[in-house]
Amino acid sequence: MKKVLFVLTFISLISVGTIELNGQCNPDNFANACIPKLASGFNFLKSYKVDGEGGSKDKVEYSYVFTKGTQYMINLCANGAATDGIVVTLFDSGRNKVATSKINGQFISAIAYPCNATGIYYIQYTFDGSAGKCGGSALGFKR
Amino acid sequence: MRLVAIGFMALFIAACGSSKKPDEKAFLESLDSAKTGPTIDEEVISSILQQIPSPLEISVLLKESGTKYNAGILNTSENLSKYNSNYKKALNLGVYGTDLGYTNIYEQNQDGLKYLTSIKSLADGLNIGQFFDIETIGRLATNSKNLDSLLLITTQNFNSINHYLQTQSRANLSVLLLIGGWVEAMQITCQVAAKDAKNKELQEKIGEQKIILEQIVLLLSFYKDDGNMASLLKDMEELKGAFDKINITYTYKESTMEIVDGVAVIKDNSTTTINITEQDVEAIRALTNSIRNKIIS
Repeated sequence: MKKVLFVLTFISLISVGTIELNGQCNPDNFANACIPKLASGFNFLKSYKVDGEGGSKDKVEYSYVFTKGTQYMINLCANGAATDGIVVTLFDSGRNKVATSKINGQFISAIAYPCNATGIYYIQYTFDGSAGKCGGSALGFKR
Repeated sequence: MRLVAIGFMALFIAACGSSKKPDEKAFLESLDSAKTGPTIDEEVISSILQQIPSPLEISVLLKESGTKYNAGILNTSENLSKYNSNYKKALNLGVYGTDLGYTNIYEQNQDGLKYLTSIKSLADGLNIGQFFDIETIGRLATNSKNLDSLLLITTQNFNSINHYLQTQSRANLSVLLLIGGWVEAMQITCQVAAKDAKNKELQEKIGEQKIILEQIVLLLSFYKDDGNMASLLKDMEELKGAFDKINITYTYKESTMEIVDGVAVIKDNSTTTINITEQDVEAIRALTNSIRNKIIS
């Protein structure tokens, strides 16, 4: 009986741990998975975590100085093959919209942006009907 | 019942054991520079730090514009023994990082291996050597077919170092690392521009660094209570004075987009014009050279 009690206790502890882990967002894994998905010829620059913290955050934002004459690529990775409703939108320093990955209602998993104006840009991730609100992204460049 | 207790104890020990890395204490104890904390939230500092572009972008530009490799414009790896304080180690870790990126882009593996050794030594000295995978990088560097992997892993290693320093509330070292890397990239660009005075693209590349320098001055201003950082800030403010003569005009025009092979391809209709003269470039080159000499000496 003692052995049965031990096994049941152990299994229940493991189960709780597993459920907790499954419920948590692990954006590092998605961000790392995105790096090799950058198109050929692009050099990796940064990986970004996109964690909506279970719905408490409606956007995640980073910034980067893009330079004229350089082409950048930003891609998205989430659970499954699609972007799970995660949208990346690029704003210039004056907060004018420059690019988005949601075009005519279609969720696109990568943006290619040949920069024509040097400046600070904001890379904003939002959740549009996203189930997991959890993903990752990578930024690359080429000349 | 004893078995249940042992089970709980084992789980408790396993959970506690993973919370602290063994060399974290040594790392925190080793810091000798900028012990005064920043005057602003470190999250703000991290958000500014992540904006600074990779020096690799400059090296790619130089190579693709046909500029020949020149090891003479880099900081020699033999200077390593001069860097004894953590202030100098962090700055020159950035300098050598840029030099490594430059040698990698030009596929100069023998030179690259010298920088690798210096980088590993400086990183070990700052107790962040665990993030620099010298064995893998060294192996990749021996074959030019591995260039993409080599660039990827070195970028990832430097990103990990920066991330770690910022999560350890020691973003001051991350600031120095990035400034060292930026100054070295500026130095390389200015040296190349000096030999090609009519190259408008290079002049503009130098001029647009005004945007990055403004962020660097802002970052350093948070640490001005530290003597070393204050001195560096003074130098950077002088350099900013030279950049203040440069006009960058931005014109926004809505971009257009189309989907090509599953990728949203943007046509950027906005423009920047950078007004910079040969005299401006010369003034910037002289000041950059002076700051860089202080850093590497």
